[in-house]
Parts: sequence; structure tokens; C-alpha cells
Amino acid sequence: MSAGEDRVAVDTDAVWPDDAEEDEGVVVNWFAREGSHVREGETICEYQVEKVSVDVPAPVAGELAEIVLEEDDEVERGATLAWIVPA
Amino acid sequence: MAESEPEPEQEPEPETEDDAEPQVVERDLTMSRAMVEAIAHEMREDEEVFYMGEDVADYGGIFDSTEGLLEEFGHDRIMDVPISETAYIGAAVGAAQEGMRPIAELMFVDFFGVCMDQIYNQMAKNTYMSGASVSVPMVLTTAVGGTYNDAAQHSQTLYGTFAHLPGMKVVVPSTAYDAKGLMHNAIRDDDPVVYMFHKRLMGIGWMPAPDGPKTPVPEEAYTIPFGSADVKREGEDVTVVTLGLHVHRALEAAAELADDGIDAEVIDLRTLVPLDTETVRESVAKTGHLVVVDEDYRSYGVTGEIIASVAEDRLADLEGVERVAVPDVPLPYSRPMENEVIPSVEDVAAAVRSVRSTESGAE
Amino acid sequence: MGGVTELQAMFEDMVTARYYEERLQEEYLEGKQPAFDISAGPIPGELHLAAGQEAAAAGVCRHLRDDDTVTAPHRPHHVAIAKGVDLKRMTAEIFGRETGLCGGKGGHMHLFDPDAGFACSGIIAEGCPPAVGAGLAASKRNEDSVAVAFLGEGAISQGGFLESLNLAAVRELPVVFVIEDNDWAISMPKERVSDVADGSRRAEGFDMPGTRVDSDDAIAVSDAAKEAIGRARDRNGPSLLEVQVHRRMGHFMGDPQTYRPEADQEAAADRDSIERLAAELRRRGVEDETLESIREDAHERVDEAIEWAKDQPEPSPEDAYEDVFANPPSGVTDEEPAYDLGTDARAGAESGGDD
Repeated sequence: MSAGEDRVAVDTDAVWPDDAEEDEGVVVNWFAREGSHVREGETICEYQVEKVSVDVPAPVAGELAEIVLEEDDEVERGATLAWIVPA
Repeated sequence: MAESEPEPEQEPEPETEDDAEPQVVERDLTMSRAMVEAIAHEMREDEEVFYMGEDVADYGGIFDSTEGLLEEFGHDRIMDVPISETAYIGAAVGAAQEGMRPIAELMFVDFFGVCMDQIYNQMAKNTYMSGASVSVPMVLTTAVGGTYNDAAQHSQTLYGTFAHLPGMKVVVPSTAYDAKGLMHNAIRDDDPVVYMFHKRLMGIGWMPAPDGPKTPVPEEAYTIPFGSADVKREGEDVTVVTLGLHVHRALEAAAELADDGIDAEVIDLRTLVPLDTETVRESVAKTGHLVVVDEDYRSYGVTGEIIASVAEDRLADLEGVERVAVPDVPLPYSRPMENEVIPSVEDVAAAVRSVRSTESGAE
Repeated sequence: MGGVTELQAMFEDMVTARYYEERLQEEYLEGKQPAFDISAGPIPGELHLAAGQEAAAAGVCRHLRDDDTVTAPHRPHHVAIAKGVDLKRMTAEIFGRETGLCGGKGGHMHLFDPDAGFACSGIIAEGCPPAVGAGLAASKRNEDSVAVAFLGEGAISQGGFLESLNLAAVRELPVVFVIEDNDWAISMPKERVSDVADGSRRAEGFDMPGTRVDSDDAIAVSDAAKEAIGRARDRNGPSLLEVQVHRRMGHFMGDPQTYRPEADQEAAADRDSIERLAAELRRRGVEDETLESIREDAHERVDEAIEWAKDQPEPSPEDAYEDVFANPPSGVTDEEPAYDLGTDARAGAESGGDD
């Protein structure tokens, strides 16, 4: 929420499995590339926690401005995976 | 090079033919997601398409081959079936002969032993035996391949076994883009199609894929014709013919060889039946050197078939030939032994170097 | 129902198997967190654990001798332990080591220990026909050994099982088929794949005795198995026995079990055949100390086997080329005798041969 920030974070909070005890997973696949346009709800990446694969939807339509956590990176509950500039 | 930049816009006609301008594809998919997208599309279009298999419903397929389909189509069309392969694969044959378009999944190709009669005596032969008064428009999907130490009963590809028996079309995708286009064609085809997907290429979290199978995939439906091999990397010096996982190992070998000034062409067969021998022959006419790489057993298989088909027609073009395949032993469990028998990047590179060294002798 | 010594022996098998599986799980998951990569860690390949199924193996194998044959499916460790398979060499095999039961070629789904009369197969129901064959051999040789085939409830719709029931029945062979019903064929609950809740009813169609033990109570299993195995040993033909067991873990390590209701997992965890047997032993006057010392001995044996296994060398890559055949490829000979067969055709061929 820093000043002038009009980017929307893609984070794992909303999609962390309810029953997962682990707070750490791994990014398995990116389906959207940096700079590409994504639709709201489109699966843009997938991470794995406790062997469960979790799809991450784009929270808004827009341009995938920055991928923060790449494939094989560890991801913590609530971590920001990427930033989208809303269209 | 080619592996990181597939060219989805190059060859199939998207069904919505806007114009000749290639459309930019912005998203990448794993091979499993591309397969599933094609299946879902066909199921929406045609209510007679349904999927049967073990653990294909709630589990979504052990190798994600049906991931997410249950939610959209329900248990009536994404059917978990008893562990009775003879019954349900045979039932797919029967339903297909009634005009439906079943997809039946054999969880591991290694399990074909318990149901082969339905596959090769019924599915594959009924069209011919009936004088084509009957057709069998079904797809048999099945997981193939090793590299994860599952030993002799869960690691085979059996490419040659299925391709040997007449009456089945045999498809082996190596990328997401190919997987989708080939699946559309498989479901629409009026003949039985065996669709063999390599576990290591699916993009599953617990079995990481190499770089390469995840590619841009158009959202619309498109079909890739059977019998059309794809030159995944162009080269002048040696023709490497392969399929499945080993497309990616061959591309990696080719990248290494390029550093040494050897320019390898890598041909992905994509289908074994029908077999695109023309693309192979043309390439060999150019390079004079042929290396065939296969994750199936060496003898009586794909390597011998490819080499024979070139030799029959263009013997004079062949200056050197090598084959790289699983030596004729069952797949061992332990890592050092499995690594020994499944062709590696280094094995491919060594074969390419070796085949070039035969040049002077053959001339 | 057996005496206290016999029950203690079952208890020992069961706690050995349970602890073995827990230790294997730990070893298997090493290097697999947070990312579960099947190729990482010290144990190769898939791993199917049988925690919760120990009562079936212990109760049945209690009545078996060394010369009896057991075949197990892809979930074999508890059966192997109860049948007396060498724990160290089995563990070395699971770790893919040179001194393993199969020299590292088989792995956890394909364990062979002929000394203990044990083999398993990773293909559903496919251990049944070889068990029938072992019974056939005993029958032909007029021996009183028996064969037992273990299978899961998912396997009872497979042809290999049903054909085996029929062949064993029609030849009156000394075979006992033991269904371990853990309610789940990977993700498929049994009601989805069979209209018969009691798998032992499959026996009816073959005019074979069929019994179901409705709880994983080792004593009840032992009683039922004693009767079935006795029938086989007395040459009164085959039997089918189903035992309700519980799957405390996933189908394989790495199975997220998202398809499985939490209540079902909790119920499996709560029903513990080991605790049940311990309670019965206490009721019969066995001291807690005795039970504890059985446990400790078992743990020690398991830990020792795992440590030993991890110290063993890996096979060399070239070992992959050995063992395809028992005889040389040429068979029992590499020579062919010379005969004059007297025909022109042969004569022609002969002149081209080596003299």
C-alpha cells in the first residue's frame, strides 16, 4: 500500500489450503509470462504445499508486471508471488 | 533453442480462421493441462465423449491426466471404474462400436498385460475384421516411461509393442502444444488411438519435468495431423530421431554438441502409427548420419524400424547409423542401474559423435 | 484362539511392521520437503506403506511354516515381516542397495525371498496365480505345504483373482486367498467399484468357503486363518478370507488424499489393531513391561536394519545387465550334436555349416 502503488499483489493467502499444516510450499509452474495480459480468475501459476497442488488465479485483469517468486522458489503462506498492473 | 521457442502458430489451422496472421499466444501450459483442455473442449462439444479409468474422477488421474474434469462433468462422464481393465477397456470398445467416443485410461502402460486381448484382438482388429463395417472411435490413454525408479513393472514405454500391432494409431506427444493438438485429433478420429503420455513430461509437482514440455498453447481447439513428425531443431550434420521424453534429452545433447561445432537436427516423431518416414528420409538425405533414440527396448523396436525404413529407400544416403535405446533388460529399480539403461543426454551426444566418426569408413 | 505366547509373537510382528513403516516414512521424506520430488531422498521410487493393516498379516502368517508360500501385492512390508523375510536384506532392497534381497533390481514392490517363501508383484491381483501354482506344486508332490495370496479389496474385481479362485477350487488346491479390505483402491471407495460390501462372498460363486473378519482384530484373524490354512493343509481345498483393515496413510507416500474425508482418516487413525491386541494381552496378565520390552526389541531390530541398509553399497551400473536369464542365453548347452539326417536339404545346409 505504499504511495503511488497501483499494482495488485498476487499472494497465496486466499488460496492456501485450509487444512494445510505447513506454512511453506514451492512454486511449481508459471503459466503466464512477465509482461503478458491476464484475465481475472485465470490460473497464472501453481504451487505445491504438502504434496497438494494449488492453482493461483489472477486477482484482477491486467498486465503481469513482475514475477517475484520463480519456479522452484519456496513460497510462504501469504507471500507475494507476483504483481499485476490492473488494466 | 527450439525447445524454449516452440512455434505454435506455424502449422495447424486454428478452427476459427480469422486470417493468415499468426496469433500471439501469451500463456504457457504444462502437458497435462494441455491434454485436459483438449478433452474438456471435446466433452463440451460432444456429449458422447466420456472418460473411464482408475482414479480419474476425484483423484484427477495419478498423473493429472484428468485433473479438474470431474468438477465440470461429474461422475457420469468422468467415470472411476473397478480395477478390471479387461472389462472397462473392452467396454470402451463396445461403446465406441455403438458410436460413442469413449476415452479409456490404462493407468500405467505396463498394466496392458492384464487386458491385452481387448486392446489388440478387439480394439485394434474389429475395423479390419468387419471389412470396415464397424469402427472403433476410442482413445486409450496411458502413462509411460521411467526415470523415477519405479522398477520393471511401472517404468516401461512399450512404444514398439503397441506400434507393432496393426490397427491402432499410436501417439506420443513431447510438448504441451503437441499434446493438445494431438488429443483433439485423437478424440475426433474414427479409429482407435493409443495416446501415450510420458509421466516425466506432464508437469506434475512431485515429478518435475525438464525444460521444454511446457510451451505456449493456443486457447482455441486445433488439430495436429497424425503421421507428421516435427523438426524440433534444425541441423546440418546429424539427424537425431526420437520421441517423448527423449526429444528433450536430444535437444539438450544438441545444444552441447553445438558448442563443439556439431549441428544436430532433432526430429520428434510425435506419432508412431502412422509413421512419418518422409521427414526422416529428407533429413538423412541432408545430413547423411542417423541416430535413433528410444526409451523402449532396443531389439525389435522403434530404432530398428526407423533405420530399416531409411535403409530400404535411401541406403545410399546413410553414411553412419547409431541407435540408443534401453538394452534388452527389464527396467531395474536402483538409481545407478536405471540411469545406466535409460538413454541419457550424454549417451545421445556420444552416439552423435560416434556416428560422425564413421563417415570416412562409409564413404 | 492361541495361547499368550502366540499372541505375543503376533504383537511382535505387528509392532515391528508399524515401526518399520514409520521409520521408512521418515527416511523416504528426507529431502522431499518442502517440495515433494519423487526422485529426491535416500529411498528411490514409489513407496506404499501398510500401517493399519498389520493384523491381517500377523494373524495369517502365524500359521505358516517356512516351506509355505506367500505372495503379496504392492503393499508388502507387513506381510514380509510376518512371513519372516530377512529384515536387513529387505531394507537394503528398498534402499536400492547391492546386498538387498534382489540386488537392487526389484525394489519395494518386487521383493523376492525364496528362503522365506515370499514374493510380491506390483500389478493388482497378479500374485494370485503364482500362489495357485505354489499350491499346485505342493499338491503334485504330495507335500502338505500351502500357499497364501494377499490382495487388496480393490483387486477382487480383477480377472487374475477370479480366475485363480476358480482354478484353485476346481483342482482343490491348498491355497488361501486373503483380502485386506482397507476401504480404498487408491482414491476409489469400495462401494464405487463393487456392489458387494463383503468381498468374501466372491467365494460363493466358486463353491469355496468364504469368511470375513469384520474388524482388524489380530486374534479373530488368527482364528479364521487357522481354520482356512488347516483346511488347505489337510487337502480340503482353498478358502477365501477377507479382513477389515485400515489405511492410516495415503495410497503411496505423496498421495495428498484430497479425495478422502477427514472423518475417514481420523477413524482409521483411531482404530488401532496394535493397541487392541495390547489390551487383550494385558487382560491375559501380560505385564506392561513385557509389552514394552517387545516394542523396544522390535524398534532396535528395525533401526539396526535401516542403519545396516544405508551402509550398504549401491550396485554398479553394469549390474543392470546381469540376471535377465538364469541360464546363459544359449540355454543349457552351447553345442549342437552332429547327426546325419540323410536329406538333401539338410545335406545342402550342412555343407554351409562348420565342420
